[in-house]
Amino acid sequence: MRKFFYFFVATACLASVAFAADSQIWGEMRIPNILSYGQEQSLKLGALFTMLQNHYFGKIFLAILVLVPLVFFVHYKVIGPKVFSHEGKKVYAFDMFNRVVHQIAAISFIVIVPTGFVIVFGDFFGGGTFVRLCKNLHGIFTIPFAIVVIPMFVMWVKDMFLHWDDIKWLMIVGGYLSKVKNPVPAGKFNAGQKTWYWLATLGGVLMIVTGAMMYFLDFKIEMLNNITGLSQIDLLRVSAILHNVVGFAVVALFFVHIYMSIFAIKGAIHSILTGYKEEEEVKILHSSWYRKLKEQGKV
Amino acid sequence: MEYARMKFYCDEARCIECDGCSIACAEAHELPVGISRRKVVTINEGIPGKEFSTSIACMHCTDAPCEQVCPVDCFYIREDGIVLHDKDKCIGCGYCLYACPFGAPQFPRDGAFGAKGAMDKCTMCAGGPLETNSKEERHLYGQNRIAEGKVPVCAAMCATKALLVGDAESISNIYRARVSARGKGANSPYGWDRAYTK
Ligand code: HEM
Ligand code: SF4
Ligand code: SF4
Repeated sequence: MRKFFYFFVATACLASVAFAADSQIWGEMRIPNILSYGQEQSLKLGALFTMLQNHYFGKIFLAILVLVPLVFFVHYKVIGPKVFSHEGKKVYAFDMFNRVVHQIAAISFIVIVPTGFVIVFGDFFGGGTFVRLCKNLHGIFTIPFAIVVIPMFVMWVKDMFLHWDDIKWLMIVGGYLSKVKNPVPAGKFNAGQKTWYWLATLGGVLMIVTGAMMYFLDFKIEMLNNITGLSQIDLLRVSAILHNVVGFAVVALFFVHIYMSIFAIKGAIHSILTGYKEEEEVKILHSSWYRKLKEQGKV
Repeated sequence: MEYARMKFYCDEARCIECDGCSIACAEAHELPVGISRRKVVTINEGIPGKEFSTSIACMHCTDAPCEQVCPVDCFYIREDGIVLHDKDKCIGCGYCLYACPFGAPQFPRDGAFGAKGAMDKCTMCAGGPLETNSKEERHLYGQNRIAEGKVPVCAAMCATKALLVGDAESISNIYRARVSARGKGANSPYGWDRAYTK
């Protein structure tokens, strides 16, 4: 036991020395990043990141935070939610595996998105303990999301490819601009849900990767430097820029997703808790899928 | 009253790469292992006639990019131009490092779960926002030699007087006198204090 302990300590010491010795940022690689020395390798991403973060990122996040909910508020007041009977028959849409995977992703997002906003508006919260806590939660809740993102991608991918219905769905904006319950062209997932699926999975992976780069900061993956042709510090700058830009899309569609599942379609959230959708809801909002289920005698 | 802007300048014709400044800094401020606020680097290594060594740290930029990007706004720039930050506010996000043209900000891994702790960088020996020369200030930021009227420790101990610190005007006078005596200029442009302008 003791031997093992010493072995562990010695390894840890050696590892930290090795870590410090060939730092990708403060070691040899520091020089090529200093533009003032006429180093041409750098892509001047430092200046770009400074400009974007100083003038745009915060404002764009603020605009999304205010405008997207505002649009929904107006939609809710003017057109109102779609209400389907919860008394009628139900369609089994999501099995246990689907639900658990989706629930884990949902809980992760419910923590990741607001904490992300707290970091972005860190000055508003005065920095310090609270914002630091949010930063740590933001990182910790990335882990459950990272675990389920691949299963989520795989379990739904066959339903997510582009279909004729999607074009028609987009033309009428999913029927959300009117209150009448006309059948809307959509399979198991409509064009809006598909868009969110691709963004949440592929964009989500990009968010995980760029977030992880910023978390680990000083590491060396030679392949990454070779493929991108970027030095470590420039990789970090690209990560920070992408994390923000993809973040705009992720939060905007995340808000849409929340609005749809909780407010716009009353009670839609039950399907991810129990697995059942209301038959009337399926009949109207996923008419193509309903037709198929009917042919198969499942409803 | 117009304050003078405090600047560092390292005369690479004199720097002999002894690393004294960086060691003096680490000792004076009792920096944790793995953090070096000042570092001596050799540029154009192995290229005859072009190789030179110089000492770099935070350059206390005039238009400090770190200050522009910090999401918690924890930087403050003193009237004499020294760029400082508040470690109690800092969340260790790393943005200042991405913005910095000189790779100055560093992060001890002392946060929860090995996350990046509060950022650390050269203070030009001017401490931080806590009570001047208090135990707390010394613990978080190191010595406050400026408050005692002393020169930053790196420049004070530089044996060849390559590393200079002072108000921008006096530094440039010394530098100009040296250049005219030597009859040749330096490799790194003087006045590189503005971060991203050429
Ligand atoms: C799929 C969604 C997301 C994932 C997986 C994710 C993951 C991460 C991770 C792992 C970090 C590094 C944390 C650290 O350094 O301790 C990070 C940083 C950051 N994230 Fe996210 N994030 C996501 C969405 C967002 C959103 C929506 C925002 C903005 C509203 C955001 C804002 C930030 C900011 C500002 C940072 C940099 C500060 C920092 O490193 O702590 N993130 N993210
Ligand atoms: S940008 Fe870098 S060198 Fe300039 S003041 Fe900030 S930390 Fe110092
Ligand atoms: S690491 Fe600290 S000082 Fe640097 S930008 Fe982030 S909060 Fe500001």
